[in-house]
Amino acid sequence: MSENVSSETVSPENVLPEDWAVPEITELNQAWFSSETVTVQACAACETLQHPPEEICHRCGSMELGSRTLSPTGTVHSYTVVHYAVNRALADSVPYAVVLVSLDDAPELRVIGNMPGVPISDLEIGMPVEAIWEPRTVDDTTTVHLPQWQPR
Amino acid sequence: MHGAAVVVGVGESTYYKRGGSPNTEFQLACTAIRRAVEDAGLSMSDVDGFTSYMDRNEPVRLSAALGTGDLNFTGQTFGGGGNGAGAAVTLADAAISAGYAECVVVFRALAQGQFHRYGQAGRPRRARGASAYTSPYGMLSAAQTTAMQTMRFMHDHAVTQDSLAEVVLASFEHAQHNPRAIRYGTPLTREQYHESRWIAEPFHLYDCCPENDGAAAIVVTTPERARDLDTTPVSIVAAAHGLEHRDGVRAFGEANFPTAHHRHVGTKLWERAGVGPEDIPVAQFYENFTGPVLMAMAEMGFCAPDQLNDFVADGNIQFGGRLPINTSGGNLGEAYIHGFGNVVEAVRQIRGDSTRQVVGAELSLSVSGPGYAPGSAVLFGKV
Repeated sequence: MSENVSSETVSPENVLPEDWAVPEITELNQAWFSSETVTVQACAACETLQHPPEEICHRCGSMELGSRTLSPTGTVHSYTVVHYAVNRALADSVPYAVVLVSLDDAPELRVIGNMPGVPISDLEIGMPVEAIWEPRTVDDTTTVHLPQWQPR
Repeated sequence: MHGAAVVVGVGESTYYKRGGSPNTEFQLACTAIRRAVEDAGLSMSDVDGFTSYMDRNEPVRLSAALGTGDLNFTGQTFGGGGNGAGAAVTLADAAISAGYAECVVVFRALAQGQFHRYGQAGRPRRARGASAYTSPYGMLSAAQTTAMQTMRFMHDHAVTQDSLAEVVLASFEHAQHNPRAIRYGTPLTREQYHESRWIAEPFHLYDCCPENDGAAAIVVTTPERARDLDTTPVSIVAAAHGLEHRDGVRAFGEANFPTAHHRHVGTKLWERAGVGPEDIPVAQFYENFTGPVLMAMAEMGFCAPDQLNDFVADGNIQFGGRLPINTSGGNLGEAYIHGFGNVVEAVRQIRGDSTRQVVGAELSLSVSGPGYAPGSAVLFGKV
């Protein structure tokens, strides 16, 4: 925790409801949400990495875009602890933390996630983390593997 | 464009807590616009343009209902959020300066008691597009987004919780002098601030703008036209609306994270105005949340980020201090009309009719929508 803030409540779970929103899987985001690896978009022309995936390379403008699997490790760059549930369905989940993780292999790439099971009071900026994947099944058909984070 | 357009009228509806308005949002819009036009000493038939941002009350409907003249210009800005407050003024300034229109009303009407509440979020089972990367993680509101920026900003620059409090205390103190303010008569102490519940750390309840119902408007015209009016014209000295390359990209991917997206806006504004932050005696900073106000203050050049704790302490941002901010009570104390009240108040400081009037203010700054890109800012001054 930053010395500026204090978190009075420790949520041992720090997880959102099983039936909370899941990403709609598209061709663009499939690798990120289904592969159970930290796989980001890589431009086929100039090799620039970008996340979230885009329809065009932000560096060279190429529309030929591939992917690259990176080390599943990163650092907590920032976070917030949400205490107020902006939707009633989250009322039993607060407080929960949302973290912004900077990837070790590409620190300029940042990803948003939670740290399920980790006490909120353990969180701090600069904390080394590694990815885990949280399976969520939608309509008994699609399984999404949400990238999440744990201390390492 | 410097001084090529002037503000000749301001108007507000009564401001209400969310759900408290006896009038519809459209009626509130009409009331604020009528009052602004009347304040200018113009006829509704003189109005030939409308600009706004994220507004539901379209010029077609307004024009028919209010009896304006034929319209020569209408426009809204891209980009979410209150950054549009300054940007909509920029559009009006551009329309007047280019000669497309002669009398443009800039307005914003927002009744959160009648439509979507900004502090609430829906419950999509499947999150699409950009929200696929945020909603599944419970990242859903502006408070949470700006909290993420602010947490890192406080960490990098040792900004204290007490400095966030200073923004709140300034707005609430100033609201005690403004009978239009929803918080008029309900002051706030530092202790009450710190004891208030968390919304999204590092934001307490009072760091967050309220949800209100109301409307506000200004009338912009040419300096020539203003000469015939029995009102104090206020010059749009300079305006800026834009972003630094990659500001606001998804997943906080800008290289300069955390940013309020006002570095570029600040550079352009001072360059166009030919003055600097040291020349500014009073400013309105859109308070969606307190953290972005402090970030914008630094990015607009008022002090280095590492000096913020000192810059805002000891009453320096309250009336009588170095830079009084949000002198009407702002979004936190007067009303949250998506930041357009801050624009109106910046104009009032030049007219001399603020309830916390900075005597002899020759320049008056309004900074809109920090934390979201593009940013915007308008500098008003005496004609």
